Amino acid sequence: MQAFEWANAKTAADAVRLLGPGAAADYDETFRPIGGGQDLHTTLKAYIHRPARVVNLKTIPDAGKITVDGNSLILGATATLTEIETHPEVIRQAPGLAESIHSVATPQIRNFGTIGGNLCQRPRCWYFRLEEVKCLKRGGDTCYAKEGENKYLAAFGTDAPCVITKPSDPAQVLVALNAVVNVLGPKGERQINAGEFFRMPTTDDPRRENVLAADEIITSIRVPLGQLAAKSTYLKFKERESLDFAMASVAAAVDADGALTVRSARVVLGGVAPVPWALPAVDAFLAGETLDEATIARAAEMAIEGAKPLSQTRYKLPLVRTLVQRSLTKLARSILET
Amino acid sequence: MATTQPIKKKKIKVPQVVNGVPTEVEIEVDDVAGPTWGANDKHRLLNTRIPRSDGPAKTTGTAIYTFDVRLPDMQYGRFVVSKHARANIKSIDTSAAEKIPGVTAVVPFAKSVRYEGEPIVAIAAKTREAANDAVRAVVVEYEPQPFVVVAEDSMKPGAPQIFPPSNRRQVQGNADEVAAAFKDCDAVIDVEYRTKIMHHACLETHGVVVDYRGGDTATVYASTQGTFTVPGDASKAMGLKQSDVTCIVQHMGGGFGSKFGMGIAGLWGCKLSKQLGVPVKMMLTRRDEFLTGGNGPGSIQKMKAGATKDGTLVACHSIIHGLAGVGRANIAGQPYQYKATTFFREQTPVNTNEDASVAMRAPGFPQASFAIESLMDELAEKIGMDPVQFRIKNVTNESHKRQLLRGAEAIGWANRPAKAGSTPGHLKRGFGCGIGAWGGGGGPKCIVNLVIGRDGTVTAESGSQDLGTGTRTYVRAIVAEELGLGMNDVLEKIGSSKFGDANASGGSTTAASLAPAVKDAAFNARVALAKLVAPLLGAQPDAVTFENGKVLGNGKSLDWKQACMTVPAAGLSVQGQWQPGLSGNGAHGASFAEVEVDVETGHIRVVKMCHVQDGGLILNRLATESQINGGMIQSLGMALFEERVMDRRLGVMLNPNFGEYKLPGCLEMPELIPIIDDGDTREAVIGIAEPANIPGVGAVANAVYNACGVRVRDLPITPDKILNGLYPAKA
Repeated sequence: MQAFEWANAKTAADAVRLLGPGAAADYDETFRPIGGGQDLHTTLKAYIHRPARVVNLKTIPDAGKITVDGNSLILGATATLTEIETHPEVIRQAPGLAESIHSVATPQIRNFGTIGGNLCQRPRCWYFRLEEVKCLKRGGDTCYAKEGENKYLAAFGTDAPCVITKPSDPAQVLVALNAVVNVLGPKGERQINAGEFFRMPTTDDPRRENVLAADEIITSIRVPLGQLAAKSTYLKFKERESLDFAMASVAAAVDADGALTVRSARVVLGGVAPVPWALPAVDAFLAGETLDEATIARAAEMAIEGAKPLSQTRYKLPLVRTLVQRSLTKLARSILET
Repeated sequence: MATTQPIKKKKIKVPQVVNGVPTEVEIEVDDVAGPTWGANDKHRLLNTRIPRSDGPAKTTGTAIYTFDVRLPDMQYGRFVVSKHARANIKSIDTSAAEKIPGVTAVVPFAKSVRYEGEPIVAIAAKTREAANDAVRAVVVEYEPQPFVVVAEDSMKPGAPQIFPPSNRRQVQGNADEVAAAFKDCDAVIDVEYRTKIMHHACLETHGVVVDYRGGDTATVYASTQGTFTVPGDASKAMGLKQSDVTCIVQHMGGGFGSKFGMGIAGLWGCKLSKQLGVPVKMMLTRRDEFLTGGNGPGSIQKMKAGATKDGTLVACHSIIHGLAGVGRANIAGQPYQYKATTFFREQTPVNTNEDASVAMRAPGFPQASFAIESLMDELAEKIGMDPVQFRIKNVTNESHKRQLLRGAEAIGWANRPAKAGSTPGHLKRGFGCGIGAWGGGGGPKCIVNLVIGRDGTVTAESGSQDLGTGTRTYVRAIVAEELGLGMNDVLEKIGSSKFGDANASGGSTTAASLAPAVKDAAFNARVALAKLVAPLLGAQPDAVTFENGKVLGNGKSLDWKQACMTVPAAGLSVQGQWQPGLSGNGAHGASFAEVEVDVETGHIRVVKMCHVQDGGLILNRLATESQINGGMIQSLGMALFEERVMDRRLGVMLNPNFGEYKLPGCLEMPELIPIIDDGDTREAVIGIAEPANIPGVGAVANAVYNACGVRVRDLPITPDKILNGLYPAKA
């Protein structure tokens, strides 16, 4: 990795100040905040990120606190994945979130990795990860994956100039549960809906995966608790169980009565698009329906409508169909049991 | 006066390993009676389950591997490697790199490159970080040349030629006869099988620490499969006498065929140490290991075979390409372990602008095995015969019949669905099998020096390296058993070129070459000590026995330490050499797999694997079972995960790290059942490292088909291929 200055932030505002002068013409040279470093170390070592300064967020007191505040779960940005997935209230009130985090990488990585870092991790696209290949996302003018080796990449949203998949697992659940990302910048705080936090690659700016400015940091994430969160689940399909990113995943949450009549439902796909792939048509279809076998089968079919797989990602469609079917079936059973 | 009888000679065949690939040579040996092992079931230590003597050191981290060696003033070497698949190098600007504080040497040496990752410049620095910075600071101006990195592209007319054209086509058999024979077949299968270029994935990368601080002598710590493959080349690189360079290989983190000689890392480690006058550590980075540490060849195997309804394999026609990068590749001839009434085979290597393929655990055999075992199942299904019975009818070696039946029982073959994909529900079970064979014989090379000290210490010395197979443990066990001692009463010293000569570990020949020499040394030590002790016991030397730490004779006994008081002050020193009667040749095995395929996700779970393996006298059952388990795991990796992925436009490897080059992990491990075939009663040592790795891949592939009805002929068998098979694209 390239040598850099290490700065310990004393407060969130201090972190913002330390990141302030870091905006660089090349996005990969901007100052970077570091939480657990589980992704940043890999990009630093590969010279993908070449910041002159790295700002340590783990020195901010209480920045990793997990609290339940009324009807919300508040996750401090530097809470480790292990702390969240083992938190009794998370397991009880937002099981899908705990499941999504448990599916991440390995115990060792979850012990270090933070929720803020997990949401901001960079894509796994092979072309992006090789320093020598200057792809569109790295400031070049070509997405090599589109016509190249793209087996692990997108099957939805492939009209975008870059066809990465978002590697985070909890991201799908946070979008499904209408979580809010609390962000601090030089102009103060702002709240961003999780669904709007992630951004599709555009021709103007294919390089960023979220709406954070170079001098903004995530301070916490607020997850609304209630029926939807209580009946949430996350299914992730990995090629290699021991350690892998999703070939496809689904976050599902259903608020339904005892007769399985759906008040509201959310289905969000992971591992198949540059962002957590919400399915508003499926959500709208499910509302008011009875969550029985036929409804679930229809929802699973609807989930893959509009997919535009790449040359090597057609297999993701039957996979998504299965995951949606299984996740909704699991939730229906769970609702009937309570 | 004694008359000297001329010693009778006899001719025997022994394996000779060239670059990890075994061949045979005939040699002449003395035809005299030497030590024998005795019956396999009569040993006290050998053929039992002995914990590794170096196990505690390895598990606690005190075993020193080359990567762990740290010497005073040691500097760090690295390579600048090519970013292009093929290029001429117009210029190399080292000035910026040289200015980095701590950088001590920047030495360009290449004029052209033939693959991405080929070393161009050697660098040394006082810290690893400075060396890394220097690598990126060197400015190489390339003149890119046409390249090809995908076999299909390389086989097209007009493709860039990597080597001058030459006829490298090997042909055996009569194609016309085979073509005619297909007319008599009731079933013919005509398909193409592919295996990918794979990596050895050694936990320790290639490299050395060279300690040459001027003067006449130097030490090279090397991660190598051959202690004695290093001093010659290292001495040339440093301008020293070969006898003044010592190679040390105390522990090494895997080779699998990729670590013969000291390689380019060794060469530059030597040159830089000489130039700088300090120790230099030159170990490849993980990415460089993938790019330039060698690889195992892939294959394209066009196979056409036919059988009659009674289960006779009549004809086999194969056109085979080994995918060799800039190296060579030989895939085992088809129909491999089966007899066909008539066969034709043609083999031509395909070269690409990728690092050279080198020997990799049973070079060319797992590839051939995957193809023929898949084909045997396809034929068996077509003629409606059980795959085990079909194999038994067509094997060439009787051992395989026994092993197939044994393995079938262990895996629960009776539960195999007769029709592929017929298990109810979405989790479908399937079973598959395959067979393999290998040489594994030994030859004359090893010298073992054994010293019994007056204090009772016993030290056996051999320069041989322990590739990870448990050499240390059996050296100890053989000596301890012969002298009536326990495992902790013997010390083995290995892994130094200052000790007795030894062969490189290739072709599974180490145990069969070294163990007889150890046995010979222990036998000689016993005879010599008996002579010294006999007068004290009042016994004839040949009536002296060694048991339970005692030396016995004439109804009397001495403790081991008392007996050792008879040896000279400098100790009793004897030597042992390989003896032909103590090693055998020819190892056979059969693998079975049970898998579960989720036909809604394409997920494959290997539930259970078993492998039945013969190997004559088993030196250590625990180590042998461990070897067999390792073979099954490597087969599982080849079948389901491992694959070098290239971008055909950019000429670069896309997955040069353990995150993306996927090896099976803990959660992929099935129940592993290693079975030693004790039906083999040969009282001789035979290597089994490679045979344990051959048939598993075909067994897994056949089990997957039996489970879900999707025949994947292109490894690895991944969920996307299963799903694409189950849910074909709409026309």
